[in-house]
Amino acid sequence: MAFLVPAFLAGLAALLVPLLLHLRHRDKDTPQRFPSLMFLERLPIRTAERRRITDWPLLLLRALALVLLVLAFARPFVNVSRAAGSAGAVRTVILLVDRSMSMSHRDVWPAALDSARRVLNGLGPRDRVALVLFDDEAEVVQPFTADRALSLAALRKATPGSAGTRYAAALRVARQLAADEGGERVEIVLVTDLQRSGRSGVAGLELPANFDVRTVSVTSADRANARVGAVDARRSERSGRQLVSIRTRVESRDARASRTMSAMLRLNGRTSGTVLVNVPATGEALVAFEPVPVPAGLVSGQITIDPDGLAADDTAHFTVPSDDAVRVVLVASEDTGVDETMYLERALAVSGTPNIHVERTSARALDARKLGDAALVMLWDGTLPSGSAGAALTEWVKLGGGLVVVAGRRLEVSDTATSLVPASVSGQSERANGESSALGDVRVDHPLLSPFRDARAALYAARFRRHARLVPAARADVIARFDDGSAAIVERREGAGRVIVVAIPLDARAGDFPLQEAFLPFVRQLVVHTAGRDVTASARTTGERWTLPGALREPVVAAPGGSIVRPARDAKGASVPLRSAGLYSLYEGGVRGAPLRMLAANAPASESDLTPMSRDELLVGSRQGIVSAGTESQPPAPEVAERRQAFWRLLIAALAVLLVAEMLFANRGWRGTANRFTLPQPGRSDS
Amino acid sequence: MPHAAAPLLDPVLLARISDLALLARSVVDGFMHGQHRSLRRGSSADFAQHRSYQPGDDLRRIDWRVYGRTDRFYVKEYEADTNASVLFALDATASMAYGSASVTKYDYGRFLIASLAWLSQRQGDRVGLATFSGDIVDIVPPSTRHLQLLLHTLGGSRASGAGRLSTAVDRLTHLSTRAGIVVLVTDCYEHPDDLGRAADALRIRGHDVIVFHLVDAAERDFPFTAATTFEDAESGVRLPLRPDELRATYLAQVAEHHAAVSTRLSAGGTDYVRVHTDQPLDRALHAYLDSRLARSRVR
Repeated sequence: MAFLVPAFLAGLAALLVPLLLHLRHRDKDTPQRFPSLMFLERLPIRTAERRRITDWPLLLLRALALVLLVLAFARPFVNVSRAAGSAGAVRTVILLVDRSMSMSHRDVWPAALDSARRVLNGLGPRDRVALVLFDDEAEVVQPFTADRALSLAALRKATPGSAGTRYAAALRVARQLAADEGGERVEIVLVTDLQRSGRSGVAGLELPANFDVRTVSVTSADRANARVGAVDARRSERSGRQLVSIRTRVESRDARASRTMSAMLRLNGRTSGTVLVNVPATGEALVAFEPVPVPAGLVSGQITIDPDGLAADDTAHFTVPSDDAVRVVLVASEDTGVDETMYLERALAVSGTPNIHVERTSARALDARKLGDAALVMLWDGTLPSGSAGAALTEWVKLGGGLVVVAGRRLEVSDTATSLVPASVSGQSERANGESSALGDVRVDHPLLSPFRDARAALYAARFRRHARLVPAARADVIARFDDGSAAIVERREGAGRVIVVAIPLDARAGDFPLQEAFLPFVRQLVVHTAGRDVTASARTTGERWTLPGALREPVVAAPGGSIVRPARDAKGASVPLRSAGLYSLYEGGVRGAPLRMLAANAPASESDLTPMSRDELLVGSRQGIVSAGTESQPPAPEVAERRQAFWRLLIAALAVLLVAEMLFANRGWRGTANRFTLPQPGRSDS
Repeated sequence: MPHAAAPLLDPVLLARISDLALLARSVVDGFMHGQHRSLRRGSSADFAQHRSYQPGDDLRRIDWRVYGRTDRFYVKEYEADTNASVLFALDATASMAYGSASVTKYDYGRFLIASLAWLSQRQGDRVGLATFSGDIVDIVPPSTRHLQLLLHTLGGSRASGAGRLSTAVDRLTHLSTRAGIVVLVTDCYEHPDDLGRAADALRIRGHDVIVFHLVDAAERDFPFTAATTFEDAESGVRLPLRPDELRATYLAQVAEHHAAVSTRLSAGGTDYVRVHTDQPLDRALHAYLDSRLARSRVR
């Protein structure tokens, strides 16, 4: 028992008040005249001189009322952590068991199961427990129940997965469970390896006042671990053969010494190469496999290193796009001469990574079929398609297509396409007297110009005799400007695709840019970036969702482990959660034939970092007074405990009852008139 | 000897009679009507016995016939000693003003004295009155002609104040030089020894002393149940009590006191009559007459 405002206990000194009142009590009733008190005075009665307190029950009643009042003001509360352990109390426990990938490290998982079982077996028959398994998400596998067998059965089915760790997700679910239980005090028992990388999001997390978090750490002492990093897979074509070059890194932490391990590459299920790599104790080593001939279709692969304590991250899955080639539709007006687009077409043709296939057509000939095969449409200084072709182009871009508009003298933008193009042309900018302009402001941090981060001069070297003057539209992003300040490159995302307007002359008539060394990489990056090829990753991370193409009517996904997922579609399309590491294959209608697409998922790199937290670190920054994550339960803040218990209300209620009792007690019988002296009872002292 | 109470002897009825003379005559007449024999014994002419002559005896009382037969002097004793002087002393302290019913002890004492005075007057006695509180309040010297004065004084007296009986009796002994009968009507709130010494002082002076101890029913029974603050009628001292728990002890104390008073007074030759004020006057009258008869013998 403690008091929120113990200073009020000084009010107990007021106990002297009723005492003094009782001591100086005087009868106020009409006295009974009697001839003589000679005999009465002789009786051995308790006179005022012998004992002034004449009514102990009433005095005690009033003193108790005063004590209750003082205690109510002192705001008492019970230390809940101690009270929770008292015999007979019904406990409400939420058992959070970490099943992230790191829990499969060495013997951590069996230890976690043993700890969880000990917690469950330590509960009383009336105690209620809920079991929650969590990694980067949390799942309530057993709602609150007093039947421990159910929780033990659910625990037996649990296995560590390949997802990351997010303690915040587990605590949020526990918070919801606790909220569903009302204001009861809830013990949170967290069985985990206390991986530091998993505490993201805990800071600032609001935890209810009735939480009592306790952690059970199952960290292994030997935390040496190596993992296969991100895989870089590049197709190339050599002598008509499709080759893929695979590179990756092996990352090592906390090993005692550097060691040599083998890295094995498997493509489409076949071993395609093995290399030996010297891995430092803490650091990373680059692994590069020889180019491997692969089919033109979808290719999946995995790289496996020698297993260590945490085998789950010793294999990295990846995919290689079916065809690396980018199909570009070059739309040029009929009056466009071949020499105008010659440099562009030649630059596109010589690009090897990726291979770029160019199809030249006119705006009128542009149709859905051509758009369907294309990754990029380049509109060469002409009129944008209008009508149904324009609408189809707009829809295609929003679904992920790329559009490059090369602005020149002939550029006209139809009403349909105006909203699609992020800039309008307000004329031509020409320098007189043979002067030329150049690029003045280039954003090399943008992916389009990132290849020139270390070679800006190559872009600045180009000279332009004239160029279109662009007026950027709303939401447009100006990537480069001429030295006169006008926009040179403008970009805007449209749905899943993007549209770029280039005012830089890409022919030799208005400038010398095609003759500059920056021209080829610029054109290549323009294609790759606008077509969205520069963001294609060879693998995703578990915990993410795979957004399926919207064109599929009945998508079916074969997940790792052989499970089949038929995702439901909503307004934003269909998606599949990537819960397990491995290869996900997309089919239409059913799992048969070659998959339409494949996606590899690996555990997040942070999950391979087994560095544990200190006990106090987990909940630092969380709100509402949960301070320690030690093995001992910590009481909530006194204000919280007092507010929750509100004993003062009970005291006030008891005080009211007591006052009523006192009123009845003091005004009935002989107390209604005066205090009386009585004969001393046998065996009682007068003192 | 038990007697049936005449209605007029009921103190409650007597309390309705404001004239003490009428009251006294009514009481005495009613009382006398109920007797089987006359209380008048022939004006002290009834022979009682002979005794040897002692020096100082009145020579006229020598029975010469007996001398002639025996040649020895004997003196004749008669039943009554007429023309006795009776002084009624009434305790007028505030404690006497107490009465749990309609009659206070003081009223009862006045009825009793008036009746006894009337009775004494009819027997030819001289009657006088003294009321005392802390000191003598009223005094009517004994005389055969002072009955009306006695009754008038008695009717106008009131009980008030505090005082010790022994002090008042001491004064009384100095005022009463002629030996006679002193009828002391009091509630005896004195220590038995003090009472005894006061009665002894009167007896030393040659008085025959009869003490009427008036006891109210509440003093006798202590019927109080509710806790009450008791106030001493004389001193004003208050004492809050629970009488239901004190009753037994109180009654024992009272009984012990009464017994002690009776023993002490009787040991000194004083007649002691305890009279309860809720009882008719005849018991007191009988007791008086019995005592008067016994003391009328001439020694």
